[in-house]
Amino acid sequence: MNSRKIASTSRRTLLTWGCFGLGSLAIAALPKLVNAQSNSSPGKTLTFNANDVGILNFALLLEELEAAFYVGVVSSGKITNAKELDYMRYLGSQEAAHVTFLRSVLANQVLFTTSDLSLNQASLNSILASRESILNTAIALEDVGVHAYNGAGTSITNPTFLLAAGSIVSVEARHAAGVRSLLGKPVTEPDSDRLVNDANLNAALNPFKGKAYDELYTPKQIVAIVASLNLLNNPINGALVA
Amino acid sequence: MVFSYINSDISNSEISMNPKIIFHSLQNNLQNGLQNLVSRVLFVVGFSLALIPVLFATLFFSPPAYAQSAVLTPRQVTEYALTLEKLEADFYRRAIDAAQRGGLASAPQIAKDAIVSYGADEASHVTDLSAALRSLGGNPDMVTIPANPNYTAILGRDPFANPADFLLAGQYVEDLGVAAYKGQVQNLLAAGPAGKTVLAAALAIHTVEARHAAGVRYLRQTLLGADVRPWISTNAGTNEVIYNENRLGTPVPFELDAFDGYATQAEVLALVGPILNVTTSTRPTQPTPVPTIAPVRPNAPRALW
Repeated sequence: MNSRKIASTSRRTLLTWGCFGLGSLAIAALPKLVNAQSNSSPGKTLTFNANDVGILNFALLLEELEAAFYVGVVSSGKITNAKELDYMRYLGSQEAAHVTFLRSVLANQVLFTTSDLSLNQASLNSILASRESILNTAIALEDVGVHAYNGAGTSITNPTFLLAAGSIVSVEARHAAGVRSLLGKPVTEPDSDRLVNDANLNAALNPFKGKAYDELYTPKQIVAIVASLNLLNNPINGALVA
Repeated sequence: MVFSYINSDISNSEISMNPKIIFHSLQNNLQNGLQNLVSRVLFVVGFSLALIPVLFATLFFSPPAYAQSAVLTPRQVTEYALTLEKLEADFYRRAIDAAQRGGLASAPQIAKDAIVSYGADEASHVTDLSAALRSLGGNPDMVTIPANPNYTAILGRDPFANPADFLLAGQYVEDLGVAAYKGQVQNLLAAGPAGKTVLAAALAIHTVEARHAAGVRYLRQTLLGADVRPWISTNAGTNEVIYNENRLGTPVPFELDAFDGYATQAEVLALVGPILNVTTSTRPTQPTPVPTIAPVRPNAPRALW
């Protein structure tokens, strides 16, 4: 690989991105899988403050969930079409790159380690049981990720953070569009797919809405959506999501 | 109207002797990847004497060192965005026409459906940005594009002549649109509370442009066997993107496929200029042609857009 790909500054990051360049996933660290029936350890409570650090940690949580999901997808054996598997591998490596990047940016202000996160294994297994379930969940996760970054965007105060979030969110939108295309769906999100309807949108954040726009969801709305997926056991609180 | 603020942007931007510009000049002279990496580290070291892993966080949490462009007001950003959206909407209107009775009539239905859907989105953006501009005291009717934009400038040939050329042009246009919106988020943030509404609108549009770009790329991969995926590849070449996607010298690793790059207003208008710069009658307040916009090169191997 060209060393221009090696963009960050720590040795750990260099090594991780080197792995991506070789096409492998970063599987060294994954959230803990917890069987909901027998051992429902909720894990560390995640407290997000209403500031840039809280927002970046919240984004990190979503990226961790996505990255863990795609690792499970690739190893599930349920995606057998070559193009679909290619997309799943790329999406997984790109979400892992977002995790690595956000952890590098946050440095000692990161709120949780990957192993602090507790995933509901029963829910995950259920999702990973079929191609259709996997791809539809991928669409849901990616669409929600887009709405989440957009919704946080107007609250970010550091211009470099805002640019970085913008650099990530359009890739999430490309993911959503790519998986939508795999299922023969329109690339944009129809109102019928939206998990927050017009009446519940924050009016101040959404001067425009409808198919031609990716509406801005509040962190509180995102937490409710994530909870409905029943993938994460960790309790979530803090001013950002209140 | 359009060209008056094109000019003001160019005169205000990219001319100061700031470290970023100096760095870019230095960087342009470096030839291989190792040197680029070294230059990157040197750039970082220039801001701090601490250890490198600490530097990374320090860069982010310190005052902004990465302003994207000349500072535009929310109204100027809206006028600029409306110009691009009018052009995109017109681009798709012509594609719809070509799909009915012209060079795109042979396109598969999935591509025709995309043209109609994306065109409707761009038309919505024009309508809603026009209303937003009025609310900021501006006049959307003064933001004009030529009656017949010179779309030949994109590829050096008619982009509506066949589906393959249209999709390639569409990829260039949509990827650039994504980068153009991303290039304005810091300007809107800098405007404080006055910029919040336009920032919210820009964010909501920005990712829809990315969905379009991904959709066009998917169609090129699927229908044409093009070596392209919905996202921009790591270290993308100039046949994949036509702006500076792999921008170095910032804390964001734009050259990776996981991170989309941005384009400043000056960079975007330099690419779009040849398309807009066809009818002198639309710019009565501009006595001479804008000298900094690159002329169309008919024999250029790829688009200037």
